[in-house]
Amino acid sequence: MTHLAEGPTRVTPRRSLTRWNLELQRGRLPIRYGFSVVCVAVALGAALACRRYGLPPVESPLFDVAIVVTAWYAGIGPSVLAVLLSTACFDYFFAEPLYSFEVSREELPHFFVFVAFASITAWFVSALRGATSTVSLPARSDLNLPEQARAGWHSRLLPLVPLATALCAGAIFVADTVTTTDIAFSTLYAVVVLMAARFLSAEGIIRLAVGCVALTILSYYLSPPGGLEFGGIVNTGIGLVAIGLTTLLAVQQKSAEESLREHAGEIRKLNEELGKRARELETSNNELESFAYSVSHDLRAPLRHVDGYSELLKKQASSSLDEKSRRYIQTILESSKRMGTLIDDLLGFSRIGRAETKKTQVSLDQLVKEVVAEIKEDTSGRDIVWKINPLPVCYGDRSMLRLVIANLLANAVKFTGMRTPAEIEVGCVEREHEVEVFVRDNGAGFDMQYVDKLFGVFQRLHLPEQFEGTGIGLATVRRIIHRHGGEVRAEGGVDQGATFYFSLPKAPDAAERKNTQ
Amino acid sequence: MSELGRILIVEDDPRDEELTLTALGEYNLANEVVVARDGEKALDYLYSRGEFSTRSNGNPAVLLLDLKLPKVNGLEVLQQIRSDERLKMIPVVVLTSSNEEKDLIGSYKLGVNAYVVKPVDFHAFVNAIKELGVFWAVINQPPPGSMKKAP
Repeated sequence: MTHLAEGPTRVTPRRSLTRWNLELQRGRLPIRYGFSVVCVAVALGAALACRRYGLPPVESPLFDVAIVVTAWYAGIGPSVLAVLLSTACFDYFFAEPLYSFEVSREELPHFFVFVAFASITAWFVSALRGATSTVSLPARSDLNLPEQARAGWHSRLLPLVPLATALCAGAIFVADTVTTTDIAFSTLYAVVVLMAARFLSAEGIIRLAVGCVALTILSYYLSPPGGLEFGGIVNTGIGLVAIGLTTLLAVQQKSAEESLREHAGEIRKLNEELGKRARELETSNNELESFAYSVSHDLRAPLRHVDGYSELLKKQASSSLDEKSRRYIQTILESSKRMGTLIDDLLGFSRIGRAETKKTQVSLDQLVKEVVAEIKEDTSGRDIVWKINPLPVCYGDRSMLRLVIANLLANAVKFTGMRTPAEIEVGCVEREHEVEVFVRDNGAGFDMQYVDKLFGVFQRLHLPEQFEGTGIGLATVRRIIHRHGGEVRAEGGVDQGATFYFSLPKAPDAAERKNTQ
Repeated sequence: MSELGRILIVEDDPRDEELTLTALGEYNLANEVVVARDGEKALDYLYSRGEFSTRSNGNPAVLLLDLKLPKVNGLEVLQQIRSDERLKMIPVVVLTSSNEEKDLIGSYKLGVNAYVVKPVDFHAFVNAIKELGVFWAVINQPPPGSMKKAP
């Protein structure tokens, strides 16, 4: 049976970038935390430069970008450091009073909104990062677990979503300045979309993003007079870009997850079906086994009695019976013997189907020699010319292959009974991956019209008076060869002899095939 | 023939019993034969209980055991014999219709002394029974404590 992969299979989109990410994430602590410091320093430099050259105040979005980059590439720990550093820088350089770690009363809401936005952004970016980098096929054992258990710690924070939203909304009303309102709106949207990315369907996220854009536009009409400042527009623009990017990521992730879930479902379904089939097969196999057992035991007992009592009757009443009655008894005896043979053959045939094959390297040369030596002992009175060509080594069950050769050679001997001399040839044709062995005789042959019936169970093409036999031999040959992954065929003509072919995979081939299974 | 060991036949089928006794009778081996019709009766005999409570002491020289029996089957009887200190030495020959590998392995694992498939052909059957009877009741030296009878 083929085993399905037990462990999770990692799906890695955009390979090179992902590898770089993972390397950084796996990197030593100083590198990761250093990355965080560098990011914040670059943001601070850019913000100071903006102020120096009289550009609009974009320090909060810049710090946010630094935090997002840190959280995305360096992980949760460095992102916390980035939040702390950004807060400190923001407080020292940009919050009134400037160049002091104190925060004035008027600036306090602005400061809190900044800290909240920074923290929430860091948290969600890490969460999103974690989710996208471990997009993996669930292990087979996980397939039955509820969705909740696999979602990890993020899902446990689900109840906090309304609280976070309420906090942000509260911040908007507390903060009275235009810039703060813009930041708060951007924050709110980013947070809502990021949350949606975790917990909503792809369509839900897109609808939400559209709603956010509409709300942003509306907010300008609702904002106090003079609200349309350049800085506000830049902030909102960055917020909208963030929304767009996260939406894109979210959609990608969602579709990946959905296809994964779909696949997982499919795999689970197939597994269940496979399990069911295996159980059914086992049941029917057991039934077959007990059937064969019953045949073996229960059918033979009455037969033995028929034979035994007929024999006793013959002995007891032989003298008082007339010729006709004696012939009747003789017929009963012969029939019971024939039935005994049939039962034995049928049992042997069914046993071949059930027995396990023990495959090894088998020298066909050796096998044919053994069988021919045995047959020669039984056919000492006949004139048979044996022509045995060299044969290769095959991979198979020795005793079963011996049965194949014994059956074919015995057939050849049987059906050449009227020839003097009888000629029997054994040889082979080697092909790339298989070897085809043939047994040819100059015996009674058969009509090619009935070639399909030749290998059937209890199928006979000759009358019992001509040639004895139960008709199980070739069926046994076919069953064994099929179990070895080969084929059987026959050629012949009436009174022109017959050739039986069977193919077997070559030794190295079969060994390889077994290894790859 | 110096002395004759007692043969215990465990056989549920009366026809098989008759054929077996006929075969033994042809060679004058039938006079020291006891027949039990199922596994329970066989154990009753071996433990001298039930209808056999008054039998003379001693184990049979050989036990011819069918496998498919009512109540207690042949393998269970064999298991019981081999696990009992007083009975474990009794030679047991499985005489059955089954030539299934499962039964063969099961019997030998439980320590059977011989396994014979009843031939369908009557002559072969008679021959097999005769040889079994001659070997186990006459030629073979049974373990001490077996019942023997001077001819």
